[in-house]
Amino acid sequence: MTPTVVLSAEGLTKRFGKREVVSDVSFELTAGEVFGFLGPNGAGKTTTIRMLVGLARPDRGRVRIAGFDLQHDFAKAMSHVGCIVESTDLYPYLTGRENLLHFARMLENGAESRIPELARLVFLEGRLEDRVATYSLGMRQRLGLAQALLGEPDLLILDEPANGLDPAGIREIRQLIRHLASDRGLAVFVSSHLLSEVEQMCDRVAIIHRGRTLALGPVRELLERRGAERLLFRARPAERAAEVLMPFGRDGAARVEGEESVSSDVVRERVPEALAALAAAGVLVFGVERQASTLEEIFLEVTGGETV
Amino acid sequence: MKFVPLVENETLKLLKRRRFRVALLILIALNGLIVFAQTQSRERRPRRDWRVESQERVARMQNWERSGRLPQTQLRWVRFEIARVQYHLDRNMDPEAISGPIFARAFANASSYLLLPLLAILFAADIVSSEFAQGTIKLLLTRPVGRARVLSSKFAALALAITLTVLLGGIVAYLFGGLAFGYRGWGAPILTGFRLSGETFDAAAVRALPLWQDAFLAFGLAWFAALTVGAIAFLTSVVLRSTAAAMGTMLAALIAGTILPRVAPTWEAQRYLFVTNLPLPDYYSGSPPPITGMTLPFSVVVLTVWALAAAAVAYAVFLRRDVLA
Repeated sequence: MTPTVVLSAEGLTKRFGKREVVSDVSFELTAGEVFGFLGPNGAGKTTTIRMLVGLARPDRGRVRIAGFDLQHDFAKAMSHVGCIVESTDLYPYLTGRENLLHFARMLENGAESRIPELARLVFLEGRLEDRVATYSLGMRQRLGLAQALLGEPDLLILDEPANGLDPAGIREIRQLIRHLASDRGLAVFVSSHLLSEVEQMCDRVAIIHRGRTLALGPVRELLERRGAERLLFRARPAERAAEVLMPFGRDGAARVEGEESVSSDVVRERVPEALAALAAAGVLVFGVERQASTLEEIFLEVTGGETV
Repeated sequence: MKFVPLVENETLKLLKRRRFRVALLILIALNGLIVFAQTQSRERRPRRDWRVESQERVARMQNWERSGRLPQTQLRWVRFEIARVQYHLDRNMDPEAISGPIFARAFANASSYLLLPLLAILFAADIVSSEFAQGTIKLLLTRPVGRARVLSSKFAALALAITLTVLLGGIVAYLFGGLAFGYRGWGAPILTGFRLSGETFDAAAVRALPLWQDAFLAFGLAWFAALTVGAIAFLTSVVLRSTAAAMGTMLAALIAGTILPRVAPTWEAQRYLFVTNLPLPDYYSGSPPPITGMTLPFSVVVLTVWALAAAAVAYAVFLRRDVLA
């Protein structure tokens, strides 16, 4: 059985004046997967998310949620979505329960009955009668998540869910998201500028930069594609090794990484040759290993070195 | 999707805010202050026979009229007052009689062009902009509810809040007025429909109504004026997305409306401004219109057009605009 496509974005394009902030962005989300949407601030992430949830109208392209076109069937499409767009802003002068009731009233009947269960899920049972103004950021974030789950959505869209949380809070959110996807079969769309976050939590990832998708695929595949090619030479002296290795690197470069390590992009076929050259130059080689590349490096490479 | 729960939401948000309590306090404080001031001034200057006093007043005003030093606008008002007091004297009625119900009735007139519009602005100015300021607009518009329904529910809640405020205003005025001047007298006849046609006083339209009926109509008109202001403030809230900016704009408009007829009474076009048309209950009790030639039906039509146009623009903007803030 092919997995059901819950969200599909086709050729989303958005212009502000003459500047195109999102250009032809396309992807699909299937049930049960966590999809990471990665990019530096200002890359067009937020604008894309706003188009996904109907806050902004795309100039070109379209969004389908659970088979419904977002522009033509807004209410039907959105009844399958729970979302937090850019920080969890709730009504500070209402209590946690009043906030949840408020959003439950905007859904089909029965959403109110899920409030106790959701409050347990996000560990807020004890504070539901307090005004949100008295909540910590982490509590607001969790209440926001409860709000997003009120309508039993098939798709969860979370914009920077880890923003402003402490490490423990981040881990909680991460576990919750994994649980929702794996055990309840939700499709979860997570935007982030934190690579480690995405790496640990997502099945697939899209890297967006200057409004364009630069890479799209399973996290593992993206990692392997890069890692297979980069080698780390344990050799001494490192400076001399780098000089020798330079012509062998595909990009004509070798980088000194430490006292005894040099990394270079040497293709498999030329490794014996490179080792012979090192030996001839009197460099002591203690080992060669594949360098485990991280999303961060992929990111740096595809975005041309811009930091996140 | 049912509409009532949406209105419930919006009403709840309006009433739970501090500003609604502030509005209530303003109503109470203002009414209390006016009643207190009136009783004080009455004590300072105990009334003699009202007949003598009224006759003296007519004589005084006739002197002013003859002096030729009065500007045109005040002259109109003085002529009107002379005729009104004289008419009451002729029928052996005290033109300045006061009671709790009369005080409440006067509140409708006094509050229609400033206080009630002000409170309507207080509610309406932040009804959409506060959602933008808090960021909750993003939650509100990502529910399975169309934008038009969201906006309609806000309009309905605003109308409810304004209605409630006008009602409470009347009740508070009656309670305070009654405390000072007695609670009885809703059935007393009241003379209404005075009109100045050209330079002469026109008594043809004057008729006696039981006070409660007259008060009901006056409050209805004040309510309508406040609703119109609410609709326009609503528009500024949608367009400007900032409560302070919306409130500032509306206050400036209100102030202009109270100043313009005084400083430029001959500028005819101001009759099409909404602020000039706000004192609807005044027409009803027969005070001269702000600009010669304006009538109650005219003002009602002008206000209706303003309210509908404001609502139309508010919808058009709200439905189309991208939410990016």
